[in-house]
Amino acid sequence: MKSRKPIKKKPSGSRKKPAASLKKLSLPPMSLSFEGTLATKTGTWRYLTPVYANKLAPCNESCPAGEDVEAAMVLSGQEDYSGAWEKITQENPLPRVCGRVCFHPCEGGCNRKEFDEPTAINALERFVGDHAFQSGKRYTPPKEKKKEKVAIIGSGPAGLSCAYHLASMGYGVTLLEALPKLGGMLQYGIPSYRLPKEVLAQEIDNILSLGIKVQTNVRVGKDLKWEGLKEYDAVFLAAGAWKSLPLKIPGEDSAGVMSGVAFLRKVNSGEAVDLGQRVAVIGGGNTAMDAVRAALRLGAKPLIIYRRTKEEMPAWEEEISEAEEEQIEFIFLSSPVKILTEGGKVKGIECIKNLLGPPGKDGRREPQPIENSNFTLPVDSVISAIGETTDLSFLPRDLQGLKDSVPVDETGATVMKKVFAGGDIVAQPRTVSYAIGAGKKAAMAIDATFRGKNVAEALRLARWGEKGSFSVARYKSSGSDGISPQVVPFSDLNTDYFKPQKRKAEEKLPVAQRTGGFSEITQGLPPASALYEARRCFNCGVCNLCDNCFLYCPDLAISSRPDRQGYQINYDYCKGCCICVEECPRGAISLEGKK
Amino acid sequence: MKKLLTGNSAVSLGVMLCRAEVISAYPITPQTTIVEELSEICSDGRLNAKFIRVESEHSALACVAAASAAGARVFTATSSHGLAYMHEMLHWCSGTRLPVVMVNANRAIGSPWNIWCDHSDSLSQRDTGWIQFYCQSAQEALDTVIQAYRIAEEVLLPVMILEDGFFLSHTSDSVDVPEQKEVDTFLPPFNPRYKLSPDDPHTYNIMADPTLFIHFKHDAQLSMERTKRVVLQADREFKSHFGRSYGYLGKVRLADADVVLLTMGTAASTALEVIDAFRKQGKKVGLCRLRMFRPFPSEELRKILGEAKKVAVLDRDNSLGAGGIVAQELKAALYGAARKPKIFEFIAGLGGRDITPEDIKEILDYTLQNSGPDGVPFWMGVKK
Repeated sequence: MKSRKPIKKKPSGSRKKPAASLKKLSLPPMSLSFEGTLATKTGTWRYLTPVYANKLAPCNESCPAGEDVEAAMVLSGQEDYSGAWEKITQENPLPRVCGRVCFHPCEGGCNRKEFDEPTAINALERFVGDHAFQSGKRYTPPKEKKKEKVAIIGSGPAGLSCAYHLASMGYGVTLLEALPKLGGMLQYGIPSYRLPKEVLAQEIDNILSLGIKVQTNVRVGKDLKWEGLKEYDAVFLAAGAWKSLPLKIPGEDSAGVMSGVAFLRKVNSGEAVDLGQRVAVIGGGNTAMDAVRAALRLGAKPLIIYRRTKEEMPAWEEEISEAEEEQIEFIFLSSPVKILTEGGKVKGIECIKNLLGPPGKDGRREPQPIENSNFTLPVDSVISAIGETTDLSFLPRDLQGLKDSVPVDETGATVMKKVFAGGDIVAQPRTVSYAIGAGKKAAMAIDATFRGKNVAEALRLARWGEKGSFSVARYKSSGSDGISPQVVPFSDLNTDYFKPQKRKAEEKLPVAQRTGGFSEITQGLPPASALYEARRCFNCGVCNLCDNCFLYCPDLAISSRPDRQGYQINYDYCKGCCICVEECPRGAISLEGKK
Repeated sequence: MKKLLTGNSAVSLGVMLCRAEVISAYPITPQTTIVEELSEICSDGRLNAKFIRVESEHSALACVAAASAAGARVFTATSSHGLAYMHEMLHWCSGTRLPVVMVNANRAIGSPWNIWCDHSDSLSQRDTGWIQFYCQSAQEALDTVIQAYRIAEEVLLPVMILEDGFFLSHTSDSVDVPEQKEVDTFLPPFNPRYKLSPDDPHTYNIMADPTLFIHFKHDAQLSMERTKRVVLQADREFKSHFGRSYGYLGKVRLADADVVLLTMGTAASTALEVIDAFRKQGKKVGLCRLRMFRPFPSEELRKILGEAKKVAVLDRDNSLGAGGIVAQELKAALYGAARKPKIFEFIAGLGGRDITPEDIKEILDYTLQNSGPDGVPFWMGVKK
């Protein structure tokens, strides 16, 4: 018993010989095949074939900015935060912004929510962005420059995203901004307790380092005529939606009444605003929440007047709950009917009480005024934040749609040749991440146009799933990145391999320390929590080398690929039992019906 | 180094010293603390072994059987119902000639429920092809683990080591724990000639047709016979390394004994002082403790018991419809022997009932006073 080697030689004719000759064969003490099992090609039995096929994670499909969230989670789980940052910024140049202000539909799509709680993707994006910035990661300008030049009107998230992607591809980009600073609503709409100005400035500087030309205080149509854009080979129109909807009530023009957008713009520009003591903010959306909380921080005693109930408020849940934490007063089911003035200045507001009637077009129950329920509140100023619309008056007639948006086709192209539009100025959800996605889509469409490609087809290949999310990486590889468009549903995961783990939330500044100024509220994840959250990710649909298939294959037909980046199946021996498919925790192996 | 250890703790340290590579077990009283301690030994790095948690004893033995087939030194432990649950795999282990080592803490089998000691669990498995050693002390349990690997890996048969539940598993005694270096010299790494290997894959346990099947069984029988020599050889070498030896049997004052008490396990310790007391009264009694039950040491028993006039067999078990199992085995061994003592059969200590010095005294008195057995086993302490 010295040799480690299993028996090799097959004694000749062993099976046929009669018992008398067995002694000569020196049988092993246990029944053991003489022939190596490699002689039996069990692959010939197969009628179902397992195939490694990475699939789309629902977070990727749900990200309006088209980030490869899943890949960033895998890399973060390996503590490769630089790699994760590169994955994210391949698609979205503003991870530190989105990691703070995005409404994170990725987490709404996260399969983990069916298991315990969604992975903290948004907080992790911020962590990755901040980590990369602190470790000096910056964008690198492309080596090759292309001759075409593009003008981008508006430097909000749509314009910045488009500028970044076009500049990365080597195009000459000029950003035209009507206001003194870049950033659009990021700069003038979002208060700094949600997005610190220095973070935004650092993100913008990084994008500009790609060699983007900037012209601020240039209002197209006034400072620069539309015809003046002819020197550019393409135009991306991303001027946003800055016009507040009017209250349409008496007294609206009095001193002490202003729009939420105008108020926030002043606050964000550092201008002094005299609100008085008591401020009524009208509306239930994010602008109203930002305005009321900004007013609180300026020392006023603000309140919200909203015509429906908390249930119907369009503002994000976190904004509402934070406003509640800050003890903001909410008056629900009330609509302003008149602003009371004295000497042309606001002194109060008259409201009427509402009941909720049947649902309207958008599915929300419509408020119905109750007769003779009027009441008045003494206030020193009124901020109206009942919605924003676009101002299309500066555009050529052809670009002005019938409603309040610039009409575009599915590639973002307008009716004018080589003029594209995106962001709040077109009909799409008005959020930062949708704007970033629209800017990117336009960059791809512009590139495809310049390169003489079929634009619609090129964009179709760049899609992540069916929710209108696009990937530049997929665009560049013409969809040949090996990721199938099929989204992995929760039911395709083998959750036996996961244990419930409580989600780690970001720390927030205590309420007492918040309202005295504009300090950032959310504190970001500590490194240990970031790693914990990255590793909570199921890695839906993507092989992360967990070895399960290798361990379970009863035929040893699965082995590590020579590059160690995945596995291979030896179909000579894979008999199609598909245990690997069943035991893959993340649905990264598919079943094919035929050999 | 001397340590105060329970039987179970002595077993765990023995397994550690033998450098077991794969351990799998399912907890059951009174075995549990063996694997509890081993799991700690594995987790704190004293032993570099794969510890596999499983959902049943059947799986536990299947796991270690597979690991053994792949060339690993393996260990499992169980008791009573757990051993019964392993029954099918016990046959597969011996049939595949896997040198698995197992400790079974002897415990009665239900019904009725009972968690205390008797030998019915392991004796129910006497025909499964496992070598069986019944231990008397914690020291012997530890030493037998070390010997068991040596023997099993030499003859390619599995070994079951038995320790009386609670009486041995849970009582503490002074144990000399051998040095790792010394154990390594006595027990080199397991280096099997046949093993599962992806480099040259062969099928284990392929079907053996009627022509071949009997040859495998015959080969195993020859190995069982050979085991008797290997056990003594290993025991001698063990003595040269560690200064202790055990043999097949424990023998006390047998040379001139007219009456010999034959038993297994810890009851032998109780019997010792009674034997001494009888001797002081001039009564020629002796004690034979059967350590190795499989292979059954028929030759040795014929030789040493042939000198006695009477043998009192104390069985801590009973085969319903036949009687005490050790007595049955002994009678079969003596059949056709030139000198045959009279066999008195006693059943005692089932389900953990104490076997007291008074019981032993009663057994010896009865055997001394009666000229011959009445052909029916005597059940100690049962209402007539």
